[in-house]
Amino acid sequence: MKALSVDVELVPFILLLVLVAIAAGLVGSLTGLGGGVVVIPLLVVLFGTSVPIAIGTGFVTILATSSATGAVYVRDRLSDLRIGMFLEIATVPGALIGATVTVFLSHANLDAGLLVALGIVFLAILPGTVARRHIDVPPPLPADRRSRHLGLSGEYHDNATDRDVPYTAARTSPALGVMFGAGVVSGLFGIGAGVFKVLALERYLNLPMKVATATSNFMIGVTAAAGAGVMFAAGYIDPIIAAPVAIGTALGAMAGSRVLPGLRNQTVRLVFLPVIAILAIEVILRGLGLA
Amino acid sequence: MTTEPAPPTSGPPLVRALPAEAYIRMTWVLRTGLVLSLAMMGGALVAYLVANPGASSSSILSANPILQYLSLSGLASGLVSGSITAYLTVGLLVLVATPIVRVASGLYYFRRAGERTMTAVTFTVLVLLLVGVLVIGPLVR
Repeated sequence: MKALSVDVELVPFILLLVLVAIAAGLVGSLTGLGGGVVVIPLLVVLFGTSVPIAIGTGFVTILATSSATGAVYVRDRLSDLRIGMFLEIATVPGALIGATVTVFLSHANLDAGLLVALGIVFLAILPGTVARRHIDVPPPLPADRRSRHLGLSGEYHDNATDRDVPYTAARTSPALGVMFGAGVVSGLFGIGAGVFKVLALERYLNLPMKVATATSNFMIGVTAAAGAGVMFAAGYIDPIIAAPVAIGTALGAMAGSRVLPGLRNQTVRLVFLPVIAILAIEVILRGLGLA
Repeated sequence: MTTEPAPPTSGPPLVRALPAEAYIRMTWVLRTGLVLSLAMMGGALVAYLVANPGASSSSILSANPILQYLSLSGLASGLVSGSITAYLTVGLLVLVATPIVRVASGLYYFRRAGERTMTAVTFTVLVLLLVGVLVIGPLVR
């Protein structure tokens, strides 16, 4: 794939950005990966933006998509605000550290290394997106002391079975550790790192799949705000690039959330994940100077 | 403010549901923040396209206008002078601020419920978010 090597007029350039962002928001929503995973490599590979500007734009993408889809989860009480707020104490410092490291790497002219790492992380998260747990509601585990103290439990109404499903968070310490790591990855690369967040919420906290997905989405926005704040104040968000991308991904994500109920998730993932894998490989090759 | 109950050491977990009002308020914050920021950015983007008919992609990729608006005084003077990129920047700031306002509203509800630990947790998250924008970003610029 070649970058736009010729000088393009502003209107078609912005329109192309919006269209690519709509596609990214749609694919990100349908695959559950979020828009950043598609937008960041395309900005670098197709539009020729610098790596930190692409990463800064990735944060803006996450903010737009998580606000667009997160409002529905919060309204329907699928997002557990208490558990989400509690875990943000780990993801936010992680994102601050990750974004700071990205700025330093960029200052040190290590963009190529950042690109290779970005591509590898993108490839690494793809299997986790396909191999999702098939247990909607796991068997209950005893709550630990911290979970009891903070009241990290609740219930939601499952429309599919028309019953209220209670749940309780367990094993909060390892979950906090994974969340810190997810925050670092998110801050470093401008992605939501939802795969890691859902892993911590499902596997360690033992939350039902729907609550885990919705709470992860709720948290992703706050984690991205931490990274975006650093990148913004460091001057690595370009409003003329970020604005059309934010508008496009929000529209794409909203369209995706409307289309999603009529599609089989696994089929959608299997169709689009090879495309994302190719983009990730292209990013690695570019980082290595081979593309 | 009520007193936070002592943590139980065993038995069933303590369920403390946030009031429905908290969910309604946070949904409102997310929707309003998104709509406001997209409207501001959309309007400013159209104005930018109209005002710069001869601009090209290379001019966008080579210069980042946000560098002028990283200080409050720079942003304020840009807004006063009617700079379109300053308005685009404000749209972006509204988008970045939306989750931060959501955390602040969570702080309000936990404090109102007298939950000291969750209040402290949420307050710490809010402080960290502000430190990122106001301290770390400018320091590493």
